[in-house]
Amino acid sequence: MKRRHLLRLLTYGATLLGFSALPYGVSRLLAPAENKPSDRAIKLFTRRQDRREYLRPPGALKNDVDFIAACIGCVLCGEVCPPRCIKFHVRDGGGKVNTPYINPSQTGCILCNKCMEVCPTEALTVTKRQNINMGIARIDQTACYPWVDKGICGACVSICPLGKSAIAYKHWNQYQPIVKDGCVGCGLCVEVCPHPSLPIWIADRKAYSPAEKKKLL
Amino acid sequence: MEDASRPFYLWRHLNKVRWVILSLVFALLIVIPVLHLYQTYVAAHAYDLLAPSEKRLYDIVEFATSPFISDPANDLDAIKGNTWSGHFWGLQVSDPLAVVSQIAAGLSLYWPFILTALIPLVLTIILGRFFCSWLCPATLIYELNSNLAAWLKWAGLKLPSFQFDRRFKYGVLAIGLVLSSLAGSVLIATIYPPAIIGRELYFVIASGGFGVGIIIFIVTLLFDLLVARRGFCRYLCPGGALYSLLGRYRLVRIRRIVENCNDCAKCNVVCEFGLDPLRDDFGQECTNCAACMAICPTEAMTFILRLSDYPAQGPGHLGKQYQPEGEVDLGAAAE
Repeated sequence: MKRRHLLRLLTYGATLLGFSALPYGVSRLLAPAENKPSDRAIKLFTRRQDRREYLRPPGALKNDVDFIAACIGCVLCGEVCPPRCIKFHVRDGGGKVNTPYINPSQTGCILCNKCMEVCPTEALTVTKRQNINMGIARIDQTACYPWVDKGICGACVSICPLGKSAIAYKHWNQYQPIVKDGCVGCGLCVEVCPHPSLPIWIADRKAYSPAEKKKLL
Repeated sequence: MEDASRPFYLWRHLNKVRWVILSLVFALLIVIPVLHLYQTYVAAHAYDLLAPSEKRLYDIVEFATSPFISDPANDLDAIKGNTWSGHFWGLQVSDPLAVVSQIAAGLSLYWPFILTALIPLVLTIILGRFFCSWLCPATLIYELNSNLAAWLKWAGLKLPSFQFDRRFKYGVLAIGLVLSSLAGSVLIATIYPPAIIGRELYFVIASGGFGVGIIIFIVTLLFDLLVARRGFCRYLCPGGALYSLLGRYRLVRIRRIVENCNDCAKCNVVCEFGLDPLRDDFGQECTNCAACMAICPTEAMTFILRLSDYPAQGPGHLGKQYQPEGEVDLGAAAE
């Protein structure tokens, strides 16, 4: 009698635990290929190791752990986004499932502030355009067309919504772009870059060391 | 039969109203992403670049909305979101479970968000677990699933129907909150069907394909079909657990009029939540869905305003078990 009781209790507990762990396990199983550890290791040793594929929307909390804890996974930010640049981690990444991201190589953010205004939680808070910090653009000067004298381009400079404070030509008559400190990392330059290997990308601001800054900016 | 104790004559039609509301909520969750697609096409100024199917959608939505709005890119922002968290003409309304699980995940209070759950919270305290049967977009599919199970049974298929402990879902709520705070992420949103439905409909219409949620939802549908009727809502749903707790001392309840009752037990059969209206046993799980009112052949079900359930009244006065003298009460003896 007592053992049966205990067995039933154990079964109930196991079922409960298994049920609660279901979203975790399923999302792990369905994680896409680029998130596998082996690919991450390869990426680590490539030149553009600080390239960020998944930017958080503008106005997001600085610490990503705080952002994941604050986001409730209502898809309001995606539903108001005019260029539909906000996508969601739908099939990947355990804890960050259903949280929004922007992949600038697909679509860049136009800094319209709608997502910050509609977000019910503190995950996205209303921020001035100059104070947004999604990252900062970096340019590979060994690949960008004007930098290697393969014609004139200037797509990134002409699309930039922040103008000369964010990205400008090195000399007024040469089309070699350089990134300034005013860049907020919206990723429109990455979206319009015509180069197939995207020599412009968005990196973490803190990933900048002074030496790199001198070399790349 | 006395005339004095008849319920208000429109209450037996409330069940139809409920189905209309459920269908409207579900339709809205489909319309909002479609309108969003239209908004993005308008914002892009690229009608000529759209695919033929997108052009057709653009034309249809423009024909339907142009009489009412002048600036689609901004005016259609009036209604956004889903039942997990929605935005209506500047009023933000969130699910109380969203607030509770967000507090558990971040272990911090953010008052602007907590206040968005105030209206649902007050309504739940007054009306009990009304969200489950009147607004939840998953309920529409779950009830159609129950009907499917009934048809399969009618066709001769033997479907097992297990009974579990209804307090199981409080454990799911507690463990979900604990896991949420351990993982630092709102994990309850991934197993809570209304949130899943709202999200996945947006994903499949406007964001390129279903996510993980739809698998979990299909698993719950199969659980309902093959293991227990409406089993997820009865035994597992964390939202249902929260609303049951909040609606424990609700004001609006269903009461059986014992003078009209003939013990036919149709109310017990129709009750999706496995309650026992025939023996006045509603408890905190009753969702005020009014299905028992609609099916009652003798108009013996009505609403009352009362903070606790009406005490047990014994067998119905039109039934066979009822003895006017009340010497031997079989119903009471059986209990």
